[in-house]
Amino acid sequence: MHIAEGFLPPIHAAAWTVAAAPFVVHGARALTRQVREKPEGLLLLGAAGAFSFVLSALKIPSVTGSSSHPTGTGLGAILFRPPVMAVLGTITLVFQALLLAHGGLTTLGANAFSMAVAGPWAGYAVYLLARRLGGSLGTGAFLGAFAADLSTYCVTSVQLALAHPDPRTGFAGALAEYGAVFAVTQVWLAIAEGLLTLLVVRLLAQSSRAELVNLGVDVPAVKEAKA
Amino acid sequence: MLAIDAAAYRSPWRHRHPGDKAVLAFGLLGAAVALPPWPGAVIVGAVALGLLLGPARVPARQVWRSGRAPLGFAITGVLPLLVSVGGPGGFVTATPGGPRDAALVLARTVAAGLALLLFAFTTPLAEALPRLTRLGVPAPVVEVASLTYRMVFTLLDTAGQIRRAQAGRLGYASRRAALRSLAGIAGALFTQAFARAQRLQHGLTGRGYAGSLPVLADGARIDGRFVSLSAALVAAVVAVTLAVGA
Repeated sequence: MHIAEGFLPPIHAAAWTVAAAPFVVHGARALTRQVREKPEGLLLLGAAGAFSFVLSALKIPSVTGSSSHPTGTGLGAILFRPPVMAVLGTITLVFQALLLAHGGLTTLGANAFSMAVAGPWAGYAVYLLARRLGGSLGTGAFLGAFAADLSTYCVTSVQLALAHPDPRTGFAGALAEYGAVFAVTQVWLAIAEGLLTLLVVRLLAQSSRAELVNLGVDVPAVKEAKA
Repeated sequence: MLAIDAAAYRSPWRHRHPGDKAVLAFGLLGAAVALPPWPGAVIVGAVALGLLLGPARVPARQVWRSGRAPLGFAITGVLPLLVSVGGPGGFVTATPGGPRDAALVLARTVAAGLALLLFAFTTPLAEALPRLTRLGVPAPVVEVASLTYRMVFTLLDTAGQIRRAQAGRLGYASRRAALRSLAGIAGALFTQAFARAQRLQHGLTGRGYAGSLPVLADGARIDGRFVSLSAALVAAVVAVTLAVGA
């Protein structure tokens, strides 16, 4: 759910840029360190960025009869970790703004905060919690992607409600209104993205086990992956 | 190739330095966001649209096709400005001044979107990316972005081919089948993206790869006249807006 170019007042656009900046800078430092230690990893990061972009361009059938795009932040966080996703997600958002006219540059900070920071961190936290509580890779992936998508939608609703509070009921009223308007598509999308991520990680656990292990994903034995 | 990027390569401004177009487009973008929406957004929107359809020679149909998705978000996004939920007047009531506020936000979004499209439709991303290091973006981040850009098109092509093959086998006949097919695409893309990156790495290592893939950037220089005219146009937009709005 990208906030369109110009939709936020300038002060809000600037404030969300400041809020997202530490996470993106931290991610950029982590990425720079990683590349200095292992220059060949650069090509894999490029591949990861391209994968994130193309994943977000796929169309998931929507409950309203049209289609929506997955955010890919849950799967990205599980595969590449949230700090790297802060950078890859921001790069993806810039590409989406300049190649697809989705989102924008003045709203880049707000979109980065919801889709490249809040979504990946929430999704990764839920994924880790599910795995530590004994959940399978598939269960963790489903819950992580669901949480990432839902938190992205919730943060975006908060951003919109802060920017455009209701004259009568204020921020709380506007939050309820934005939440209700976007819930029609976003709750279904979160479930659909969770299911999609579950199917993807099951597939990858069978076909690309070595790559997942290299990325540090805790992949179960082949027998469990097939279950 | 993506429609906007393809149009940027065909643009008559394609060989201009990205900085020239950034002054014009981002100047208008800043004006659209910072000036009062009435009459600022209307003036900025008209100027940006005039530049897109005129000197930049972008077909109107292409502008519409690229602009309709963000317009859809903006229209959905202003709906809550029209009504109030809860409060003393009833569960759902019309917001006083709601239509006016919604129109102003919509106008600002359209104007800012057109200014962004002015840059996107005239500047191939491949020419803007290498110059980001001069703006302070760390070189490894720019390198990852450049690699991402190069790999995106082959992956999009692969995704399109797989999707067509799946559709020919009724892979999208139901919602359940569609999800399975999409998972198949994502899984295949992941495998292919990493396999390609590894093959590329092996090939480049044999050629002395040290973590940087420098390419020749277009040798365009900043055109002082274009930049001055752009700055003057943006200043005129600001002046007219403030004069009319006073």
